[in-house]
Amino acid sequence: MGELRGCGSIEHTISRRAAMGVLAAGSAMAFNGNALAAPLTHQNKRVLMVFLAGGVSQLETWDPKPGAPTGGPFRAIPTSVTGTHVSELLPHTAMQMHRLALVRGINTAEDDHGKGSYIMHTGRKQEPSVAYPHLGSLVARMVAEPDNPLPGYLHVQPGGGGGSSAGDAAFLGPRFGSVNISDGKPPVNIDLPNGLTQARDDSRHSMRRKADARFLATRNTAETEAYTQTHDQARQMMAKKALFDVTNEPDRLAGGYGRHDFGRHCLLARRLLEGGAPFVKVTHTNYDTHHENFDFHIERMGEFDRTFATLLEDLHQRGLLSSTLVMVISEFGRTPNINRNYGRDHWSKAWSVALAGQGIVPGAVTGKTNAQGTAVVDRQVNGGHLFATYFKALGLDPTKKHYIDQRPIPMTDPAASPIAEILV
Amino acid sequence: MIRLANGVALCAVLTFTSLVNAAEPLSQAMDGAIERAEPKFKDLASSRCDDGTFLRRISVDLIGRVPTSSEVRAFLVATQPDKRAQWVDRLLANPDHAWYWAQVLDAWWMERLPGKNTDASAWVTYLRESLAANKGLDALVAEIVAADGVDPAQRARARFLLDRDMEPTLVVRDISRLFLGANLQCAQCHDHPRIDGYKQEHFHGLMAYFNRTYLFDDPKLKKKVLGEKADGDVTFQSVFDPKKVTRKRSPGLPNGPERQDPMLTKEQLYVSAPAKDVRGVPKHSRRALLAGDLVTAGREPMARNLANRIWAQLMGKGMIHPLDQIHGDNMASNPELLEIMTKAMLDGGFKLRPMLRAIVLSDAYQRSSMPRGKEKKAEDRLLMARLRPLNPEQVGYSILAASGYDEAEAKALGAKATPAALQAKREASARPFIKTLAPPAGNPDGFEPRLEQALFMSNHAHIQQFLLPRDGNLAARMLAQKDSGKAAEELYLSVLARLPDESERGDVAASFQSADRSVAVRDLIWALLASAEFRFVS
Repeated sequence: MGELRGCGSIEHTISRRAAMGVLAAGSAMAFNGNALAAPLTHQNKRVLMVFLAGGVSQLETWDPKPGAPTGGPFRAIPTSVTGTHVSELLPHTAMQMHRLALVRGINTAEDDHGKGSYIMHTGRKQEPSVAYPHLGSLVARMVAEPDNPLPGYLHVQPGGGGGSSAGDAAFLGPRFGSVNISDGKPPVNIDLPNGLTQARDDSRHSMRRKADARFLATRNTAETEAYTQTHDQARQMMAKKALFDVTNEPDRLAGGYGRHDFGRHCLLARRLLEGGAPFVKVTHTNYDTHHENFDFHIERMGEFDRTFATLLEDLHQRGLLSSTLVMVISEFGRTPNINRNYGRDHWSKAWSVALAGQGIVPGAVTGKTNAQGTAVVDRQVNGGHLFATYFKALGLDPTKKHYIDQRPIPMTDPAASPIAEILV
Repeated sequence: MIRLANGVALCAVLTFTSLVNAAEPLSQAMDGAIERAEPKFKDLASSRCDDGTFLRRISVDLIGRVPTSSEVRAFLVATQPDKRAQWVDRLLANPDHAWYWAQVLDAWWMERLPGKNTDASAWVTYLRESLAANKGLDALVAEIVAADGVDPAQRARARFLLDRDMEPTLVVRDISRLFLGANLQCAQCHDHPRIDGYKQEHFHGLMAYFNRTYLFDDPKLKKKVLGEKADGDVTFQSVFDPKKVTRKRSPGLPNGPERQDPMLTKEQLYVSAPAKDVRGVPKHSRRALLAGDLVTAGREPMARNLANRIWAQLMGKGMIHPLDQIHGDNMASNPELLEIMTKAMLDGGFKLRPMLRAIVLSDAYQRSSMPRGKEKKAEDRLLMARLRPLNPEQVGYSILAASGYDEAEAKALGAKATPAALQAKREASARPFIKTLAPPAGNPDGFEPRLEQALFMSNHAHIQQFLLPRDGNLAARMLAQKDSGKAAEELYLSVLARLPDESERGDVAASFQSADRSVAVRDLIWALLASAEFRFVS
């Protein structure tokens, strides 16, 4: 019984992007030699979320405090934006700073991994009796075309198995939940079973369609249509399997991304975005550096920095960056205080995220922390403000409500407004 | 609670029931209410569904699976005028009936929450045994809310509270939604802004049964159980109240009496006072009051909620929709019908079987899903049957039944084919389907087909085994037929509970000629199992 399900009002209140040619047969324009890539136009908005799991240190990335007792051993380096400095662990990303905006005044006031992650994925604090949908699910519901063969919310991560997390979608309904792209491998069950040829699969589906046409001739409902559509989508998805194969990319570019997992996953993310995926999340682990924070950040940033810079440049070169909202987030930052294990602990009171692309002012910096990085002194924001900002950047109205059986639920926290100064 | 349409008088119903056929008076009373609501009923209502459709409906609804081809054949050739009632009684007496409905109640009440602190399968067994023993659903609910999980013999029933971690807001929300049909969640911080009948004090009245109860890690049992303190009050303010007046609330159901704590001295408070490693047991348990209140003040709301949910389970939509929005401003699609069923629930001691029997023997349930004309909302008006999707359990067990898994497994087990052994095999084989089709934990069942389900159905190794010939199964039975027409009959009777028409026979014949026959059989079975006609109840 669908008693907690939405009534579909989002579809009525949000102007959908113009129908695009993702499915238009025969119009598969070659894109850098990749015949699978769907023809994209600049009005097709999409989202790339880079999630640095465990809690990345703001002090070793976007908000360095060199020389302060809390600052750690690393220097700050200038960037392609005059006056903006970042940690020396980000030399390649520093040269992309003119494409990025920094939000340095985040206070999410939640130092628990699960709850912090929830805030950053949903823009809300966790409540015992209401679950809010992930940004990826909202985009899948509000931005993606309903007949897009790629799932609306893809999550590329090192492990996690091959299933999906339908619960991410909360009241939007399970089909807007995330589909796990475990270690970059395509969704489970994408290959035909052993012994079944493509020709036989075509033939059994044509029998199925014939049976459906007969049965539904007099009794077609929204539910039967949704059901038969999933079978057709599955076949389209199977036909797109090569999108997941990053070995098709030029060797030099793959080298630029890096041969490690995160490099491959980011390259895959670009292929998926280019191929029409509306929302791709890439997770890089693990930043939970209670011990040896500095060694760990040298190593982790060593992977992140060049890969992320290459990804931004690649998206830009392909004309995708301006229409892709990019965010680099974490569940929280790390304590300014350095503990006796040379580690930093969980710290949500003053930390940073980076944004780029669709709707974002390139090179902008907002928010300021004090000299030791222990508190926000200017333009403090929380997860709700970030969410409202994402909505605005995507051209969605953050004040719109979702209706669950006539009960209005604001899609973003009504108490938090967008961060106007970083929005175009 | 329910506003009757223009004060429909129950005495009219009584007059009506006294006139009808004594065999199924409740079915007839229900149909009477439906007909009275439609002035041109006789011109608008769809005809009675055919026998195959009826057998498929009652089989999935009463025992959770489609009928086998031999069951369909037997039913089609039976000539007794009351064969539909006979078959219904046969299915209600089948052990699979309590077994399937235990899973329905589990999905209603646990919403697929994992067995975090209890054994989920023991809970389903408890539900099954309760249904098999014909326990009233009111008594069942009373046992569930009173359970503390301490007595090992009665631990299963504590799953409702323990696997919600005894989180009070969640427990109150779910008791109000699932047992009373009134979602009071929006009345937690203020009176419900749009529903007059949902007051903030109702939410907190329920909260007061639970605010002293807590999850206790019992060091001896090495299990989570419930403890309770003897103090702690529920107070609340409305966020809309500018004066911020704080109000206190004692336990009580919405519109029921408030239960005051007895005056006890400090020494009288506890049977055992809570301490480290000591479970608190008060002399006066607030939580224990709830079970009694539900079967007194809560009796009618519970009956109405259950009547509406059972109806929705069998008809595809509640008379009151959504199911957890029973209140004065949300009129039932047929108020008289709902009151008849509520009264039957109350008078019949909350027994499940008589309610199911009355519904499936009603004309409303037996109507065809083919529209008669172009009437708007014909399903809501009960002029025709609603095309409704099978639930995850029905899909899983129907794939097994349709493909002949049960017969093949019985043959393979031979002398070891006890009912329990077969049931265990069936459950294990259906589980991957149920898991793939079930909604995420903590959500009510709803129909939301997903890409990954279609990929599973198409490509997962698990489905393939049901398509390959095995002694006694559908593929083997089809391959044993020399005549493609006979094979087509076996296929359509097994999967869709009907005979193929001429063009369908032609398709099977063509398929037999064009390919290796075992390949053709495999693909034909798959195509029908993946079809909308199989996935829906027509």
